[in-house]
Amino acid sequence: MGLVRKKITGQPEQITWERLSADALRALLGDPDPDVRREAALGLEGVEEAVPDLLTRVILETEPNIRDSVLTTVSAYDTEAVAGALAVHLASDDAALRTAAAEALARMPRSMPALLPSLVAAPDHDVRVMTVMVLADLIHPDTGYWLTRVIRDDPHPNVVTAAIDALLPLATAEHAPLLEAAARRFPDDPFLRFTVQAALPGLTGTA
Amino acid sequence: MTATETPPRVLIVDDAATVRMYHRTLLTGAGFEVDESVNGLEAVEVAMSASYDLFLVDVNMPKMNGYICVEALRSGAVGSDAPVVMISTEDRQRDADRAYAVGANLYLGKPVAGERLIRIATMLTAGRGTPE
Amino acid sequence: MARAQAVGAGLTDADFTRFAEYFYKRTGIHFASSKRYFVDKRIEACIRQSPYDNFAGWFAALRVNERSGAMHQELINQLTVNETYFLREDYQFDAMLSTVLPNVLRDRGGVARIDGPVKILSLPCSTGEEPYSIALRVLEEWDRIDDVDVEIHGADIDSDVLAKATHASYGDRSLQRVPKPWLHKYFAPIGAGRYQVDEAIRSAVTLHRVNVCDTPAMRVFRDFDVVFCRNVLIYFDELSSRRAAENLYGAMRPGGYLFLGHSESMSRISPIFTPTRLPEGIVYQRPTGAK
Repeated sequence: MGLVRKKITGQPEQITWERLSADALRALLGDPDPDVRREAALGLEGVEEAVPDLLTRVILETEPNIRDSVLTTVSAYDTEAVAGALAVHLASDDAALRTAAAEALARMPRSMPALLPSLVAAPDHDVRVMTVMVLADLIHPDTGYWLTRVIRDDPHPNVVTAAIDALLPLATAEHAPLLEAAARRFPDDPFLRFTVQAALPGLTGTA
Repeated sequence: MTATETPPRVLIVDDAATVRMYHRTLLTGAGFEVDESVNGLEAVEVAMSASYDLFLVDVNMPKMNGYICVEALRSGAVGSDAPVVMISTEDRQRDADRAYAVGANLYLGKPVAGERLIRIATMLTAGRGTPE
Repeated sequence: MARAQAVGAGLTDADFTRFAEYFYKRTGIHFASSKRYFVDKRIEACIRQSPYDNFAGWFAALRVNERSGAMHQELINQLTVNETYFLREDYQFDAMLSTVLPNVLRDRGGVARIDGPVKILSLPCSTGEEPYSIALRVLEEWDRIDDVDVEIHGADIDSDVLAKATHASYGDRSLQRVPKPWLHKYFAPIGAGRYQVDEAIRSAVTLHRVNVCDTPAMRVFRDFDVVFCRNVLIYFDELSSRRAAENLYGAMRPGGYLFLGHSESMSRISPIFTPTRLPEGIVYQRPTGAK
């Protein structure tokens, strides 16, 4: 008893994950044991041919934590095919799925911009709110441009207020007229009015 | 409220800084004490260390969304019975149903007018946050 | 409204508010306006090391530029203290001894039925102060140490620090918090004011070279009861910190405990762990059962 050094054992666990082929890991994505599904999803890092299976798993997976593991692996593939498949979930009725998809898309600066023209024009304003949530965390030089466009053009006040929230960390005095115009477009929205009034002095240095 | 009473404590849970600021400004102006969290997970951590008389919880947040957050606030580890108001941009009936199913007391669409928010917060915290 | 006023790096009040909001959202660290002077000085240093000559340019790049990863690391270096010495952030070792280890023992069936050693991982272990501190405190202060086996592992990505951890010799700065009796009991003076950890303890701590983001490599760690992963995830980008959290999860026994650094919060990284409130602060547990 007391402090001991690790004993070297030949078979430390039941499944030797290192030795499993990509095909075996793909099959295990549907295993009834959530821990096995999780290990399989993480083990498929860098296995490009497994991407379609992982994207399917995003839809089928019922455990939010396992779905997060799947998204951790799949969002490392910053391609238009993956981003396009994930963007569909921004419209999901399942809050856990749509927010997880938004977080994953925010980690995909190479392919996300190509989807923006259609996403900011989505007929469902909830999808446009989720798109702004992606833009808020996307590390890309054009996010300011897109947020500015949404604030100027979007017909729904909740989309505009979300975009203002995301733009403010980047905003300069040049954005003051844009914010004032937004406040004029939605005179009945108390939150929008408050936000613009609170932000303007900091932007224009007239506090 | 009189000076001898402890003001009711509200936790605002929203990833949008402007929303937190709006709700904070309204509620502190009406005499509430306010803390903030940027997502559901932080709210759960914060609520483990301090007790609140009211939670205002957004729905769409990274790391942990509002529904899972409210479930966690109600569950054993936190075990809060304080009123929860969920405030969301989603205004469909099924979103409200989901909110009530996880333990919210009220579901409101954004934005909430100032007087309304204060009225609701005052009503829901009546009898809470004051010594016996 | 406060007056916009240029201070130090040319930060206005609005700039400071904006920065504080960003940093809080990203890391969970909140700087009150009382820390204004400190934060201004540190941001000034960051701006000097960047290609930008003012706050606005630097801050915009931090938010949207592809180099933002490196800029973030520099910022964390400036705004947090990252030193390693024996018994650092000791309150977490207090929590381990008073609550975590008794719970682990209980959950694993008690002394009579426990199968295998209690396993503790220090990652990153840097030059060894953390795993050896754990060893000292467990040996000196855990009343069940004579009844159960305890296995301590240290891991780091950097082979240079691991070589130092293996040699385990330390100077005043590292040892200042070690009580004198412990110094005499567990260290040997090796000259020039330096002390070396005794062979018995050195050989009981197993050191590994591993990258916490490397899933296959991290699979050498299984069924750990307690993991210390302090002051490293805060440096990582979103995707790396998530994968690291997943790998730590895989290294732990269901119900196992994870300690992060005192200024770090899992709420900025991943929801896969369950936060648990101990008297000494928040600790994270791998959920039990396949919920």
